[in-house]
Amino acid sequence: MGISILDVSKRFGSYPAVKNVELEIPTGDFVALLGPSGSGKTTLLRLIAGLEGTDSGKILFNGVDYTNKTVKDRKVGFVFQHYALFRHMTIFENIAFGLKVRPRKFRPSKSEIKEKVFNLLKLVQLEQLADRYPSQLSGGQRQRIALARALAVEPEVLLLDEPFGALDAKVRQELRHWLREIHQKLNITTVFVTHDQEEALEMADTIVVMNKGMVEQIGSPEEVYQHPVNAFVYSFLGRVNELKGSTLSESTDRITDLADGTVGYIRPHEILLNKFQQGDSLPVEVSHVHTVGAVVRIEFKPLDTEEFYGAEMDIEKYKELGSVKKGNILYAEFKNIVVFGKETETPHVLTDTNRLSAAIH
Amino acid sequence: MSTKRKQRRVLPGFGLSMGYTIVYLSLIILIPLAVLVLKASTLSLADFWQTITDKRVVASYKLTLYTSLLAAIVNAVFGTLIAWILVRYKFFGKRIIDALVDLPFALPTAVAGIALTTIYSPNGWIGQYFESLGIKIAYTPVGIMIALTFIGLPFVVRSVQPVLQELDHQYEEAASTLGAGSVQIFVKIILPAIFPAIITGFALAFARALGEYGSVVFISGNMPMKTEIVPLLIITKLEQYNYGGAAAIATVMLGFSFILLFLINFWQWRTAKKHQVT
Repeated sequence: MGISILDVSKRFGSYPAVKNVELEIPTGDFVALLGPSGSGKTTLLRLIAGLEGTDSGKILFNGVDYTNKTVKDRKVGFVFQHYALFRHMTIFENIAFGLKVRPRKFRPSKSEIKEKVFNLLKLVQLEQLADRYPSQLSGGQRQRIALARALAVEPEVLLLDEPFGALDAKVRQELRHWLREIHQKLNITTVFVTHDQEEALEMADTIVVMNKGMVEQIGSPEEVYQHPVNAFVYSFLGRVNELKGSTLSESTDRITDLADGTVGYIRPHEILLNKFQQGDSLPVEVSHVHTVGAVVRIEFKPLDTEEFYGAEMDIEKYKELGSVKKGNILYAEFKNIVVFGKETETPHVLTDTNRLSAAIH
Repeated sequence: MSTKRKQRRVLPGFGLSMGYTIVYLSLIILIPLAVLVLKASTLSLADFWQTITDKRVVASYKLTLYTSLLAAIVNAVFGTLIAWILVRYKFFGKRIIDALVDLPFALPTAVAGIALTTIYSPNGWIGQYFESLGIKIAYTPVGIMIALTFIGLPFVVRSVQPVLQELDHQYEEAASTLGAGSVQIFVKIILPAIFPAIITGFALAFARALGEYGSVVFISGNMPMKTEIVPLLIITKLEQYNYGGAAAIATVMLGFSFILLFLINFWQWRTAKKHQVT
């Protein structure tokens, strides 16, 4: 089922949680609502589910106005961050709940319910747990059951509120993969909320980046990562260094192209570090080196400044560089500074190294 | 040699805290009750049997038990309702109502009894309207029940209120996304969650009603065989210096109460266990 969100706003008291959001979600899409906490992403999800009422704007499901429909009538599957499994019911009863509360006319027979529940348990690979209570399950298992329960009512839209937020890293990784598989199998329109950019980039077909109640950018993971429309999106997706034009040029007399007040951005893996001066690289002092798996992060500051930057390289490159210790002097080359103009917020990429060196001179 | 170290506890030592618990319970509850049974045992078995099977005494047992039970049931229903309103709604004067709930605890029971009698007597404010309908409240078992409901009200409200407050809205939201209507949500989701608390409140209100004296004696009229409660009979015996007889009746009442409360607690324990906390 396709969902259209037309100019939707929602306030809590005087606090605007969602401001004039426009969003088109095609049938079968897998969408991530990505943003920091307080960006309105969960509120938007709850508005789609009908758990909150809109202040203005419309929500259409397949072109039909659903704005004033109750949660019950929207027939969406909703998965809560903390699972919200009914504690006094067994796993079987939890999954069967949505079928058992149907009006008698539409209620499946006992044997049909049983068959359906066991099919769902098979889908989430937890058939052996039917008679347990939620308190006897691990977090990852509970979240799978919560999903099975949401799917039991055959929703045409599946909404997940930070589904893996309360799980540890390893389980989270497993479940991400598994949820993708389920989406491929059932192909229902799925919207999930996350503050984890990695999760969004890894799972979603479409990413909706939100900030302060507004949509900043909508696009495929590649689009939003490679072509961020503004500084917020750029800095929210992945690690980033800020180059403040004024301070940097004052202290080094080298970066002049960055006018006062504008900020340049560069990803850590786009900073090259060398032991010897090459072309127009900047002398820097290493302040910290740490190895994270196959990646080495080096923190440094340009000489005579107090601004810290981070560079990232894979471990092979690091070995080529030779051992680096705190206090060593290296030469940094900034390959790919991105500048967002203040008014237009359109990116202006300084890719040409010659131009950059000109800028630094 | 064992290398296992004992797990550290907040209070010093199980032995000490358990010992304190037993001494405390003994001084406050067990020893006085033991003396009561001891006093009852000064009667010969035949005397004891005759005292407790006296028609008037048996009638008072029945009256006390059924009025207490009904009062506790009424409180369980309406106490839950009051707790619901206090937790789920915002309205003007909510704090005042919240404070009002505790008043039956603070008021001397005799004052409550006199006030209730004044209102519900055949020519009282409310009693006169029931009188014209042919219903008598004061000086009947109905009056006793009203007094017992009054003094037991806070128990259910105060045991259900915190549980209801803690109950996360996400369960109701989850149920509604699964297609449940509001009645279904209440019966299948909310009620099972607060039921153990309702039983706890019910048990407390029931226990309180079994022993209530002050408020009942004024409104009941104390007619033998009709509106005479057990505590009143005990007082009557005491006034006649029949300590053995009083103790005998009290012992039987104690037995009844203990068995009933034990059963209710067992029931409460079972429902609470089913609704495990995650």
